Order: sequence, then C-alpha cells, then structure tokens
Amino acid sequence: MSRKEEIFERLRQAVILGETEECAKAAQDAIDAGIAPMKVIKEGLSKAMEVVGDKFENKEYFLPEMLLSAEAMYAGLELLLPLLKTERAERKEKIVLGVVEGDIHDIGKNIVKAMLTAAGYEVVDLGVDVPASEFIEKASEEEIGVIAMSTMMTPTLVSIKDVEEKLAKKGLKGKVKTIIGGGTVTEQWRSKLGSDAYGKDAVEAVDKVKTLVEEIKEAVKLMERKRKKRGSQAGECR
Amino acid sequence: MTLREEVERSGRIKILFFPYGKREWFKKGVCIFDAAKALGIDLSSLCGGKGTCGKCKVKIEKGMKGLNSLTEQELKHITEEEIEAGYRLACQTMPTTTVSVYVPERSRIGKQRLQTAGLEVLVEQLNPFVRKYPVKLPEPTLHDSRSDEDRLLDALNAKYNLPTELDLNFEVAVDLANKLRDADWTVTAVKWKNKIIDIEPSDTSDRCFGFAVDVGTTKLAGFLMDLNTGKVVAVAARMNPQIPLGEEVMSRISHQMLEGQKGVEELQAAVVSGINEMIEECCEKSNVKTSEIYEICCVGNTAMQLCFLGIYGRYVAFAPYPPVLRRGVDIRASSIGLVSHPRANAYYAPVIGGFVGADNVAVILATRMLDSDEICLALDIGTNTEIDLGNKDLVMVDSCASGPAFEGMQIKHGMRAATGAIERVSIDPETFEVNYRTIEEKPPVGLCGSALVDVPAELLKAGLIDLTGKFVSEMAKETDRLRRGLKGIPEFVLVPQPETATDTDITITQGDIRELQKAKAAMRTGAEILMKRLGEKRKETVTESDISKLFMAGAFGNYIDPENARTIGMYPELPLERVEFVGNIAGTGARMCLISKEEREYAEKIATTVKYHELAADEDFQKEYLDALFFPHKNLDRYPDTANLLRRLGRIK
Repeated sequence: MSRKEEIFERLRQAVILGETEECAKAAQDAIDAGIAPMKVIKEGLSKAMEVVGDKFENKEYFLPEMLLSAEAMYAGLELLLPLLKTERAERKEKIVLGVVEGDIHDIGKNIVKAMLTAAGYEVVDLGVDVPASEFIEKASEEEIGVIAMSTMMTPTLVSIKDVEEKLAKKGLKGKVKTIIGGGTVTEQWRSKLGSDAYGKDAVEAVDKVKTLVEEIKEAVKLMERKRKKRGSQAGECR
Repeated sequence: MTLREEVERSGRIKILFFPYGKREWFKKGVCIFDAAKALGIDLSSLCGGKGTCGKCKVKIEKGMKGLNSLTEQELKHITEEEIEAGYRLACQTMPTTTVSVYVPERSRIGKQRLQTAGLEVLVEQLNPFVRKYPVKLPEPTLHDSRSDEDRLLDALNAKYNLPTELDLNFEVAVDLANKLRDADWTVTAVKWKNKIIDIEPSDTSDRCFGFAVDVGTTKLAGFLMDLNTGKVVAVAARMNPQIPLGEEVMSRISHQMLEGQKGVEELQAAVVSGINEMIEECCEKSNVKTSEIYEICCVGNTAMQLCFLGIYGRYVAFAPYPPVLRRGVDIRASSIGLVSHPRANAYYAPVIGGFVGADNVAVILATRMLDSDEICLALDIGTNTEIDLGNKDLVMVDSCASGPAFEGMQIKHGMRAATGAIERVSIDPETFEVNYRTIEEKPPVGLCGSALVDVPAELLKAGLIDLTGKFVSEMAKETDRLRRGLKGIPEFVLVPQPETATDTDITITQGDIRELQKAKAAMRTGAEILMKRLGEKRKETVTESDISKLFMAGAFGNYIDPENARTIGMYPELPLERVEFVGNIAGTGARMCLISKEEREYAEKIATTVKYHELAADEDFQKEYLDALFFPHKNLDRYPDTANLLRRLGRIK
C-alpha cells in the first residue's frame, strides 16, 4: 500500500468507526504529506461515509453510529476545507437544508446534512422551524440551489406545500428544485405536495439531490444557449 | 403517473385494514378474505370463505369502484341498507385497485383486549354535581297563590337548605305546571350545579346516573356510574371509530386540516357515535334508561378534546404547540349528539398543553403525585408517551413521540393485543429455543406490545443482539433461527411457520429492533431530561435513588414485564418494587371527576400548576436520545443491576 493509500485507509476507518481524534490526525497527516485536499476528501471521507450509509441502509448501523461517523468526518473536513480556496471559488451548487415551519425535530435532518456534505455539497443549514420565505430567499441567491426540507409530523406537511406554492408564485419552479423527507413523508405525499423529489433516507436523499442538481444545470445551460442565440440574432439584425 | 398508479399497473394493489392499521401489497384480484388471513386479521367465518355463512361482512371505506359487482351469495346476506353503506362479504370481494377495508366488531373472531380496569382511588367524599331532591309541595290555595316556580324552589330550600340560589331551567319551566299537577305535587328535582335541569314525577332519587369516558386515540372506555353510591354499574369498550380518519392524533388533526369544517364534524360525529354505543350497551346491560344519565365526564388527550368538542386543531400540531382551551369545558351533551338526558351536561376535563392532555391530568390526579412528599415518576405509555416527575413542590411533565412500535405498528409481525397475539416471550440462552404465550392460547398470529418488550430483552440476555441493538452475526453459527431475511437484513425466527396461524414464520427483524430502540429511547429521554430540569429547579440533583415510585399507566403498561422493560432501558433503573402499574388511568380520572366536585376542582388546579417542558426543544435532547438508544443505555453506570446481569451471563466484560 502506498503512503497515500495508507492515509486514505486510516481516514476511512476513522470515519466508519466514528473516531473523531484519529480522523483529525489522519487528515493532518494527509495535509503534511502534501496530498491534494480535494482528493483526501473524496478518497477518504466521502468513500467512508458511503460505507456508513450502506451500513445504515441494511440496519447494521443506527443513529448513534451514524452521527459518530458524521462527527469524525466533520473533524477531518474542518482541517481540509480551508485549504480548498481555489476550488471553492468555483461556481458550486448549494443545498439549503432545514426542518419546516412548525416542526423542531432535527436528528434526521442532521444525518442528511452529514451525507450531503460527505458527497461534496455545500450545505446551508437553516436549522428548525424554518419559514418558507427563508428557504426560498436563501436558495434563490444561489446559481444552483436545491431546497431540502424535512418534517417528522403529518400536519406540518402543509409547510412544505407552502414552500412549493411560494416558489411557483415567484416563478422559481424549475430553477430551484426541492427534495423532501422525514418521518411522515412518503412518495404519495411528494406528488400531492408538488415537490421535485423524495428521499426515504439520507442515502437516497444524496442520490436524488445529484439528479436534481443535474436537472438544474441542464436547465441553466438551455437558458444560456437560448440567450446566446437571441443575442446573436439581435446582432445580425443590427 | 403517480407511484400508486405505477404499482397498480404492475398488477399489485394495497389493501388497508381498519381498525387494525395493517396494510400490505397484494396481487390484483386477491380476495379480501384471503388478504385478511395472510395478515393475521381475525375475520370471522364459519364456511371458510365460500360465501354461505355471511359472517365476514366488511365495510369498504375507500376504493369502491375497483370492486367486482355483488355476487348472488352476497345479496342473500347483505341488506339493502348495508349495501348502501358499503358492506360486502370479504370472501366474495376481489379488489383491482387499492382499498380501505373496515372490519366491524361483529365480524371479528377475537375481541381486541381493551383494558378498562384502572387504579381505584378512594374519593374521600362522594359529591357529584348532579343531585336529586324529592319533595312534596303544598297545593296552591286562595291564600297561597305563589307561582309554581316559587312553590317548588321554596319547598326545596326549606327541606334541603341548599346553599346556592337555585335556578330553574326555562325548558323545565315550560312544562312545569303540568308536571307538578300530573305528579300530584310529589316530584323529584334534578339539580346540576345550581340549575334545576328536570322535574320528575314521584320520588326517583334512587336512580341517578352518570357516564365517565376515557377518550383514547385508539380505544374508548365507558363507565356507567351510580351517582348515589359512586360505584361502577357497567363497563364498555370500543375501538375509537375515528381510526379510519387517521390512525394517530397527528393524522386526525391533518384530517381536519385537509377536509376543513367537514373533517372537524366527521371526527366529532365518529367519537360521539362510539360513546353513544357504549352508553347504550351499558344501559341495556343494567336496565338504566339513557335519560337517567345526567352528566357525562370525558378525559382524553388534547387532540381528542378538540375532536370531541368540534374545535379546529391545526395550531396544536405546530411548534410551539399551543392548545386552544386549557380549562375544563361544560357543554350540553345533546348539542353534540350524545345520548343521555336532554339537558345533561358533558364535561371535558382540563388539559395542560398541546401534547399533554386531560389524560395526563388524570395521571396526576389518581396517583396523588402533587400531594406526595417523595418524588414520583409516571409514564403514560402510548403513541405519545407523557412523563411526569415531581412531588408536592413541583411536578414537571414532558411528552415524547414514542411512536406506535409498542402497539405493534411498523413492526413486521406486530399486531395489537388481540386473540392469537404473542404476549410473552422468553429465549433459552443455551439452546436459543423460544417459549411464548399467546392471548387466549390460540395459535400465534403476531407480536403485541408486551412481547415486543420481552423480545429485545431476551435477545440481549441470550447474546443474540449487542448493546447497540445489532444482531451478532457470529451467533448464526450457534442457531439457525438467526438468519438473513429480505435484502440480507438479519432476523430472528421466533415461531417457525408450522406453528403459526399465518402462512409465514413469525420473526423479529433488525429493522424492528431499530424501531423499538427509537420508541424506548424517546421515553427514556423524556425521563432523563425531566430529572435534569427538575434538579435545576430544586437546586439539587435528582437521581434514581430520589425517585420513590414509578407509576406505569396506559393499557399497555399493565401487561409488560417490568424487569424486561428495565433491561432494555425503557425507564431509569429503579428497584422493581418501586414500580406500580396503574392501568387505564384516564378512565379512573374520568370517574373521579364525575363523582366528585372536589376532584374536578383539583383537576383544574393540576392543569394550571403542573409545568410543561418542551422536550424536542431541550438543548440536551439529541445527546440524551442517542445515549438512550443503547440497550439499556450508553452509560452502563446508570444501570448497575442490568449491567451485572449481563456480566453474569457473559454478555459484557
């Protein structure tokens, strides 16, 4: 095993076993060894969280293990992210995450945050009891914005509907995409409420977010092309 | 295409059974009777599904249009009215779309075990609001031409020296002249508070009844009470007929939100019809006329209060969860359709908060926690579990969404406590053989709540799961019962198929264990946070040794094994002799408030003095919850006896 690979393996094990200190140490070693931080995140932390996600899916891991792994991952990220200056400046998609208005149960949301972060997304965590306007304001600031909402209760599902309606009113549907999840949320509810995607758990949420981001990118590209076309046509006229 | 349509096209449909809350996908065109059998639903039948006995009548609540037309056999057994109402014979009905099926009480083999018994608390003074006063009036003469009303009130005051000024209800006044004369001036006045609500001919004072109701989200329990003696005359129980409109409180509130005023009225009509059936049943059993019931007293959670009173409850479901009304409410029973005396009062006891209702007031009322010198802990276990902690200085309460896992929901082979439900389980730690007992000793259908406490405790003691709740995969070498099930997820076979009443093995899966962990951790966290916060208020730490008593309330609480519940860490580790089961305490509270003015006043006092703590907003909630997910707890120092037991068994070092 190369030195690089050895450090990645240490990082992965630290995250899978939820060892915060060891993860920070291994991340530091990776930095000292001069490995590109992005590579460290991808090969070490993200891969490990994928394993953790699989273990959660097949019920081997449970909430405490999941959150311990997340904690370890964050400890590594804390050291690595500041070094990503150049890459960070690039246009990047942001996931605006929160528990909807009227609900304050957030353990599930925190797990989704960890999995999205591990998958390389920048997550804006708005916390709990988040009003519709705040979700929309934050997401529409971004070039590529996805709103991820969760709720544990049935009645607060209407708060999701509120976000969808306000998005439609502002003509933001399609530009901003939404994904929902949580205790009472189902695929049936998704179609009723008009959200773009439903994630049954944190692992599925990441896959669905990937698709949504691609869809937005496509839409943005299409718009740009149209704009250019219009621009060149205007030029010809002149 | 919606997901549902997609699945239906692929030839599968979903069948939902109420009031069980069971649901499963089936092949299109499956007969409802077979689907019910596959799910272990105790649908009645004598002919075995040939359509000849007519016992398996079910009501189709949703999905009528996807059914085959009525068969000849059905026309023989189902009346026109029933057809109108959506009744079919399960064995003759083959749905091709998703359907909701309601199995009425009469079509069930085994009655669900509906616990009605509860703690009997000595009420110091029988002092109901309803009293009867027989009196003989002097006939009017030329020298005594007082009004009929004055004549009556004067005579009552003279004979009984009643402390408050009496008020004759106008509806009674309308008919007063005839009533007095027809009865030849010997009548009985029926008084509620200071109002005369009726005048009855002759002396009827020995017949004075009231009805106490525990308005549970799942179950209703009713008690016909003799207000002269304070004794129970008859008892009835029902599943709450609101269940098809939403299985738990949040879905009921959602029903109100989705359907608006219509939904509010549907929910109210449903619960009222359930109570009326119980009133009629009790009256019939004991030869009491419904018109002899002069007051109805109800106790239930806050959502049930809203549904019962016909109040729109949306905001109770949203943080910070404020209730609409806190105080106890008096309304005329007949105004919401309750069967009783036309001017009977219906009282709904006060609530504490959006998630802590009159049922919890009843817990404090009946356990006398607020009078105790020593600190007591109470757990009222249900889909929402309320936890109370404190003594005469201060009682605090919080509520947690423990979920319906211990009611058998979201558990692969879970079921409610009905005939054939496994209610006790033990596992031999050497041979891994499983011993079990079922309700009414019928072949096993599934697992009910008490068994769902036993199973993780027994698996833990047998070393089949570890402290994190994970199945120990190496143990598969020791026993075939531990195997990989669907999607490779581990499961343990509790009862192999030849022994079961269904067509599959009864297992407990890793996913089931996770659900149970979540439920028990929620309860445990509720207790832990209260210990911390009460300690802060008392300026001294509250530890297990300070808790002199643990009251376990709720129907489920009565059947669970207290030691196994402790082993899985459902409550703080207290010596078992401090655990007291108090049963259906909402029913007890309803009876107390019905027969005693003082108790009713005390209930009002409880509702204003007990301090509610919002658990989900507590800063330590997540940490404590994660610790409590472990069996019995992450911090084994908090469970020294359980840790010793596991050490002796060689499960931990």
